[in-house]
Amino acid sequence: MPTTPKTTPATAPKAATKAAPGKTKLPGFDWTSYDPGPFYDELIHSPGNARAAGQGIASYFKKYSAPAFQKKQAACDLAIREMGISFTIYSDGENIDRSWPMDIIPRVIPLKEWQRLEKGLIQRLTALNLFINDVYNDQKIIKDGVFPLALITSSKDFLKACVGVKPIHGVWANICGSDLVRDDEGTVYVLEDNLRVPSGVSYMLENRAVSKRVLPHLFNNHSILPIDDYPSQLYDMLASLSPRPSENPEIVVLTPGIYNSAYFEHAYLAQRMGAALVTGSDLIVGKDDCVYMRTIDGLARVDVIYRRINDDFLDPEVFQADSTLGTKGLFSAWAKGNVGIANAPGCGVADDKIVYTYVPAIIKYYLGEDPIIPNVPSYLCVNDKDRQHVLTNMENMVVKPANESGGYGLLIGPTSTKAERAQFADLIRANPRKYMAQPALKLSTAPTLCGNHIEPRHLDLRPFVLQGKSHYVTPGGLTRVALRKGSLLVNSSQGGGSKDTWIVDTERK
Amino acid sequence: MLSQAAERVYWFSRYLERTENIARLMLVRHQLILDLPKSIQPDWRLLVKMLGTEKGFDNCRKLDNEKNIISFVFSDRKNPSSVISSLTSARENIRTTREIMPSETWEQLNSLYLSVDQRSDKNLPRSQRHKVLNNIIEACQQITGLLSGTMNHDAAYQFILLGRNIERADMSTRIVDTASSSLQGNAEEIAPYRNVQWISILRSLSAYQMYRLNVRRNVKSEAVLNFLLKSDVFPRATAHNLAELEVCVQKLSNHGLPLEAIRRLSAFLFDSDLSVMRDEKLHLFIDELQAELGNIHHLISDTWLHPER
Repeated sequence: MPTTPKTTPATAPKAATKAAPGKTKLPGFDWTSYDPGPFYDELIHSPGNARAAGQGIASYFKKYSAPAFQKKQAACDLAIREMGISFTIYSDGENIDRSWPMDIIPRVIPLKEWQRLEKGLIQRLTALNLFINDVYNDQKIIKDGVFPLALITSSKDFLKACVGVKPIHGVWANICGSDLVRDDEGTVYVLEDNLRVPSGVSYMLENRAVSKRVLPHLFNNHSILPIDDYPSQLYDMLASLSPRPSENPEIVVLTPGIYNSAYFEHAYLAQRMGAALVTGSDLIVGKDDCVYMRTIDGLARVDVIYRRINDDFLDPEVFQADSTLGTKGLFSAWAKGNVGIANAPGCGVADDKIVYTYVPAIIKYYLGEDPIIPNVPSYLCVNDKDRQHVLTNMENMVVKPANESGGYGLLIGPTSTKAERAQFADLIRANPRKYMAQPALKLSTAPTLCGNHIEPRHLDLRPFVLQGKSHYVTPGGLTRVALRKGSLLVNSSQGGGSKDTWIVDTERK
Repeated sequence: MLSQAAERVYWFSRYLERTENIARLMLVRHQLILDLPKSIQPDWRLLVKMLGTEKGFDNCRKLDNEKNIISFVFSDRKNPSSVISSLTSARENIRTTREIMPSETWEQLNSLYLSVDQRSDKNLPRSQRHKVLNNIIEACQQITGLLSGTMNHDAAYQFILLGRNIERADMSTRIVDTASSSLQGNAEEIAPYRNVQWISILRSLSAYQMYRLNVRRNVKSEAVLNFLLKSDVFPRATAHNLAELEVCVQKLSNHGLPLEAIRRLSAFLFDSDLSVMRDEKLHLFIDELQAELGNIHHLISDTWLHPER
């Protein structure tokens, strides 16, 4: 990619004249010392040269010395503390909120590339929703022999109670957070589809708010797509699920409560949408099978529930009987069409690492199209041939349980010990349906501030896709970065951090 | 509005007001003690008495000296009426009602909390006391102003007003009660400082200047009592708080019982002759006021915050 020599040299002397007389200016960051190794770097394409979309960022850090950007990072951390942007770690004792870790160097994606990814994400969610609706109703895809019935019947996320239900617009997964990764060749893959209760969007929004506060001049050098629109897009999508057509449907965000790891986000989204934040005990289902909330004026009808609790806890009548998080009768109120629930109960059936491997076929079957964003090649341990391949190549593979999230219980082959591999081999043989494996991808990197130095760190991207009456994709998404050197684990519960994500229009100035 | 959210907003408002009041009480105590001659032992204990936490303090088995009392009232998390405990409760309540309040409220309260929390282990030396306490008072007032100026004056706002006025009435009556009793027992030595003490009571409620403006006479016990309990213009006077409560509850549905209780207490206060109230009689009178305020709180709770109970 050609670098435009215009920006870099032009800014450098300007910075030099800025230095106050009498003060010796410390040298800025030398990008030629930055070496991403064999990995694809999101910002730098060859030693010392930034990609077109990241020119401004590279020249900005070239101007500033290590103490200066450490100061910026400290300002960023302080802003995060003051704004109270926090997340929770389970079993962390008394400390229920921790400050959200954010790296100040933004991650850039060129607009052209993004437009293609956006189309791919919409294509994918559209097909997945057609799939879920089909699975719970006509089951054509099974009758046509494209998807094996056995995988449905053995899935713990297939809810029998949902059979025959037709949610409004035929859409089950209204909010999807797909994880995208890029390999060393620069190809972007979908790593997984999070369709249950995907989280992270508030951090995406807050990361932007923080970087605007801390690095305002960096914004001058780029045309960046704004992202602030998400809460109103979310509101409109939820409003489109209301069973009672009205101007102002009553929308609530259902949270498990203050000790949930994503409580910050629940409160944040409720606030930005002007919706009530409720827990299960605030809701009651009446004899008329409609949902009401307890207010200071008595009971008030609820039209749409944006639930942030898992299926299992939604309704003790239908699912876990001992759940105190949900509300009795909620499921049947939904099944009768008296309340909209996003995401619909049962949509987790498509959020399964086994179903994932069928997504290209699902897209082809329902839409007659080839997938725009490819899947990571995957091996299902339930198939004899695949399992043999996994067991013999374990040190080059990532082995995952089929339906766990948060980076728990997986084996990363290249960094694993012999004993760990042997243990996983036993687990796979004992319960092959539970496991799948993918080749260990050489995840892309981006420059990240580590102490007083800028170093490459691996990252992924979680864009958020909405589908109700229409579609919406967040411009960019939440970039999660593995802060430990060489680590591939980007989850915040596993030592991951985050970055503001910029979709940069390089053709506009 | 959700009952549960109303409850949190109400308590947020009470704790915010309480934080401001405790900080002011400490500040005034600090200033008064600087005024007293060395021969008169400053009564630091009065501070925990005023806040109703004398027992809690005694349970710590510590000497009632300046250092211990200050750190108990300022930064002791085991003391539910300390500045840090009140701020923590205010913060927890707003953290769980962020969807209702203007987002800046959370940010400001959170940074106030962080600033106090960071110095929690220090016992607020005299040299810093004024600055720190004044900052807290200002930050609380800023939040009060922020709510008044940027929040919809809807049902949620009525609960903020209810909490604030109940808390103010509670604090004013408490301060009048404790402080006036500390002035009894006519030691001749204390006589010249009686006036200073009355002024300090007024200052504890941020009332000195307003008293001068409104009463236009020297500081005398009877006039001070009248001003702090019966003034209908001073925003921390009990009669004024009751009038505010009366307006608030009428903006909410099902307000019959609370409104009746508020009006009854207003009439009781209006009809009482404070000029005959001294010593034990004043104490009993204030006890009665406080019991009625407690009753109003319970009616608010039963009507809107926990209607199903």
